[in-house]
Amino acid sequence: MIPRGAEGVGHLAARIAVDLIPKAADAYMGADLGMIAGLLGMVAQDYDRMADVLVSDQVDMNALFEEALDPFAGGPLESRLNDALATRPVSLRISALSEHADTALRLLIDLHAAVEDAAAEGAPWAETLDRRIWTFLDAYVARRAYHSDF
Amino acid sequence: MSPREEQLRAGLSAFLTDRWGVQARVESVSRVPGGASRETWRCAVASGDARRGIIVRIDPVTSLIDTDRATEYRAMEAAYKAGIPAPEPLFLEHDLAWIGRPFSVTSEITGAQAAPDGLPDAHRESLGRRKWTLLGEIARLDPLALGLGSAMPATTVNTCALEQVDYWAGVIAADELHPSPVAEAAIRWLRRHPPPPAQRLALVHGDYRTGNFLYTPEGDIAAVLDWEMAHLGDPLEDLAWSLDPLWSWPNPGLAGRLLPHKHAIRFWERSSGLKVDLSLFHWWRVFAAVKGIGIWISSSEDFHRGSAKDPILALAGWLMTDRQQQILADYLSPHSPHRFAGELA
Repeated sequence: MIPRGAEGVGHLAARIAVDLIPKAADAYMGADLGMIAGLLGMVAQDYDRMADVLVSDQVDMNALFEEALDPFAGGPLESRLNDALATRPVSLRISALSEHADTALRLLIDLHAAVEDAAAEGAPWAETLDRRIWTFLDAYVARRAYHSDF
Repeated sequence: MSPREEQLRAGLSAFLTDRWGVQARVESVSRVPGGASRETWRCAVASGDARRGIIVRIDPVTSLIDTDRATEYRAMEAAYKAGIPAPEPLFLEHDLAWIGRPFSVTSEITGAQAAPDGLPDAHRESLGRRKWTLLGEIARLDPLALGLGSAMPATTVNTCALEQVDYWAGVIAADELHPSPVAEAAIRWLRRHPPPPAQRLALVHGDYRTGNFLYTPEGDIAAVLDWEMAHLGDPLEDLAWSLDPLWSWPNPGLAGRLLPHKHAIRFWERSSGLKVDLSLFHWWRVFAAVKGIGIWISSSEDFHRGSAKDPILALAGWLMTDRQQQILADYLSPHSPHRFAGELA
């Protein structure tokens, strides 16, 4: 049985860091290998978590889109919100989840801008929705944080 | 010596012989680690009985843009002539005939190093004082009197800040591989809260941070490097960039890992003759983080789509984008504990 992806990638990073860097021909090669080992550590983290990150993002964004339907009813965003809520990724592969998430993120960016405009015009619901979007953005950032020695 | 190194050695020997008018021979070449935008090579040159070191900066294959190279050279040349410690500019060469790509040549600075790791605490403080005093001296220069008006895009004290926002927003839009909701929120915030006009139009180094200068073992700065992002603008831009929490990660307490932020600002104010209003300075800190994301996204795009696969480009794209987003969320989120924004309070 071979190790699952993240562990396997971690072993490869360790091999570079422990065995290959000391044998690098010059400082430039050593620095390159050090960075590659560090990057493999990040790839390993993403390998393990990325499906969870993208699905969690999608669940959170769908909740925001549901909440936005009422205040934006009849406006240009309404059909995009409905489309987003009706669409599912074609598979659980990272490439499919990522493509689906990108579409939702573009809508979220436009929604956030519209909410800010509404807040500037004094819409009573806008500040609450803006804070909810920031709750999502905080989680979006935290989910992607790398553990790194760099 | 690899074929690439041999090609450089021969091409640069011919070039220097042509320019100096005496026989010059490049005896050794070694690539300097770091630097995502240009290849940097250290060369030992013999000419008669004389020996000297030079630094050659070579454009990457993917970025043969005249303006970047010329801007870097002209800015460094102007700073050097104005007494700012910088490598002595020797040649700017556009002709591909010598080594296959455009390049610039400066004198090598010896007895100095780029990373302050291992520097004694006492020297760390003196280096910090020198670093922000020197940045204030750059802010004091008159870039138009130095002839930089013809080398850089024109701007005004009223428009320079939002022009920079437009520039970096354009870079993010053009280069992002996936949407950037935090950066987009920050860009909208910057546009909704424009800063007051610059106190003066200055030469902005553009990438003034620990790692982009050479320091001596005694804690002095021997040279300010990497002028390729230099432009005319508000000197607060350089100050904010130099204080970005990224350069003191993960502990925001010491600016550039050298000294408290308040002290850095005080040294800069004394040297530049300008004042920092901390409430207004927040705008420039947010801008610095947006600019950072623009640089890291652009590096990542280069790595992904370009022919250059230097891991430093990927490292910037992955790790720096992650951290810069954390900084932006800390600055702007209504739920933020202000881990990074509070260090100036």
